[in-house]
Amino acid sequence: MTDMTSAAAAAPINVSQNTEQQGKKASASWKSTGLTVGIIVCGILTIAGIALWAMQLSGSMIQTGMRNLDSWGLYITFFMFFVGLSAGGLIISSVPKAFGIKGFGGISKVAIMSSIACTIAAIGFVVVDLGQPTRIWELFVFSNIGSPLMWDIIVLGTYLILSCFYLWAQMAHERGRVSDKALRVLSVIALLCAVMVHSVTAWIFGLQQGREMWHTALLGPWFVSSALVCGTALVICVVEALRKVGYLSLDQAYIVKLAKLLGAFVCVDLYFFACDLLTEGFPGAHGADVVSMLVSGQLAPFFWIEVVGCAVCAVICFTPKLRTNPLIVIASLLAIVGILCKRIQLLVGGFQLPNLDYVGALSPQTITNWEAGWTDAYAGMVYWPTPLEFGVMLGVVALAGLVFLLGIKFLALQPGDKIQAESEK
Amino acid sequence: MNYGFVIDQERCIGCHTCAVACKIENNLPDVVWWNRILTDGGAEMDIPAGEFPNTTIEYVPVNCQHCENPACTKVCPVGATYKDEETGIVHQDADKCIGCRMCMSACPYTGVRSFNWDEPTHVLDMNIGGVDAPEHQKHTVEKCTMCSHRVAKGEEPACVEACPARARFWGDLDDPNSEVSQIIKKRSFKQLLADEGTKPSVYYVG
Ligand code: SF4
Ligand code: SF4
Ligand code: SF4
Repeated sequence: MTDMTSAAAAAPINVSQNTEQQGKKASASWKSTGLTVGIIVCGILTIAGIALWAMQLSGSMIQTGMRNLDSWGLYITFFMFFVGLSAGGLIISSVPKAFGIKGFGGISKVAIMSSIACTIAAIGFVVVDLGQPTRIWELFVFSNIGSPLMWDIIVLGTYLILSCFYLWAQMAHERGRVSDKALRVLSVIALLCAVMVHSVTAWIFGLQQGREMWHTALLGPWFVSSALVCGTALVICVVEALRKVGYLSLDQAYIVKLAKLLGAFVCVDLYFFACDLLTEGFPGAHGADVVSMLVSGQLAPFFWIEVVGCAVCAVICFTPKLRTNPLIVIASLLAIVGILCKRIQLLVGGFQLPNLDYVGALSPQTITNWEAGWTDAYAGMVYWPTPLEFGVMLGVVALAGLVFLLGIKFLALQPGDKIQAESEK
Repeated sequence: MNYGFVIDQERCIGCHTCAVACKIENNLPDVVWWNRILTDGGAEMDIPAGEFPNTTIEYVPVNCQHCENPACTKVCPVGATYKDEETGIVHQDADKCIGCRMCMSACPYTGVRSFNWDEPTHVLDMNIGGVDAPEHQKHTVEKCTMCSHRVAKGEEPACVEACPARARFWGDLDDPNSEVSQIIKKRSFKQLLADEGTKPSVYYVG
């Protein structure tokens, strides 16, 4: 508690001290050894990831854990996850502007930067998952506009460009080069685009009639709510970290506001989950298998981590006494881990229950754990990634980190003068 | 025209000849099967269901169902898998496939699509089967083509021709006088996962 009050008290002082330097800081790049080390580490991991990806392509994808009956894995899980993470930033910075309500202090630009980094990672995960990445150009030449994947590629590309443009517009706005009105219009477009990205990503799964666990109309809204949860949580973590290292200063009230918002989003997400489980399980048919697989079956650990983590997160966010900075960060991390667990459940769950419940010949390419025979292949989780996949995954995540840290270093993402003045009031 | 199969489960003896004929005709890589004979009830292949002596076994030969309303073609972003409206055959173009595996997630018929996770290898170091059978490429998806290269020449699919029990029939389901239409008119049939709405063109009678 003492920590928190002193931080809160210190913040406004920092603000007034910083305002004068802000102008200078804005143009010059921000220096810190920690940041440089971070950039180097991310750079090395990215290069290592690219090398491993080259190995996956020149060797073959048999080195991954994916097989015919579980044909997507870690990459697509993280694709979903990062699309989700990318939402929060853009939504948090665009909602207040779009609706003309009071925002979250000067974190807007940092939030968009995190969106950009996460979107790049999301695109990266689709690319590393492709068997024939050199044929990517076909997407633009032979586009089958009816394919949800095609929608996603269009929307994700638009989203990335729009986020960059939005970031630029906010910076220009601070320098008085973009009008309030233009920024507001842009905010509305950005917001719509963010919602689209999540719905479309959900439809990649939700429109697959062949997978019991995915085929539900709720998936779209649910993806949006999960995106809000982990996106907000990410913004909180990032802002807290940047505050700690003195990159930006922010009134505690804004953090509390974000935490309350996170709590609300978590509750909505859990509510959707409950609705979905009930609708699946109630008729007692095939859907009941989905419920038992989650609650007490192969995916139970991920299910319970998500449910308990999100519940704890909500408690922290809603109890004023518990809303200290360290606990808010813990709550955010729990929410992020919870949503990651949800992505894992969703992806693996889609393959865990075969539609044709017959057995036939097994080959090394049929299913991940094929040597164990049919029964045992499904006894545990049907899919588990190999070290190569973890390596490539780390590489893509590092790429996102790299983009973000470079943004921090070279762009003036600190609160601009206008907002600074606002937060002083 | 809508080509399809009728499989007589009363005649099928589970000999896997059609699976092997398919493998030979299409020069399938070692670990790839476009046509598999599945059994129900047991923990592994060919294990009957139930308690001895009251056991049963059902043979279900499964290849691509060449659905009238295929789930796979809708989701392919580049149209590498597409339905030929002339014949009803669902084609697969290995030269175009980008290996995104959308189609594998979409197809409800577990395991009819296979991805070449590894460089395709063959026990024999020469090509076998039809000279005009499709090529196999690493990191692309493949599946039963309904032997479209044979059909184009007016021949029957290899699996139909090879079946020693004469349990497989093939023909135009739109033509009421074709052998397949006649069989499903006279006998009770089932389709796999009919409630998925894919309208499979494979009918199981028996
Ligand atoms: S069985 Fe599967 S792969 Fe074949 S046409 Fe139907 S949906 Fe497509
Ligand atoms: S894996 Fe190939 S055939 Fe299947 S959806 Fe992707 S591009 Fe189309
Ligand atoms: S029709 Fe041809 S490709 Fe299809 S299962 Fe029969 S033999 Fe194989």
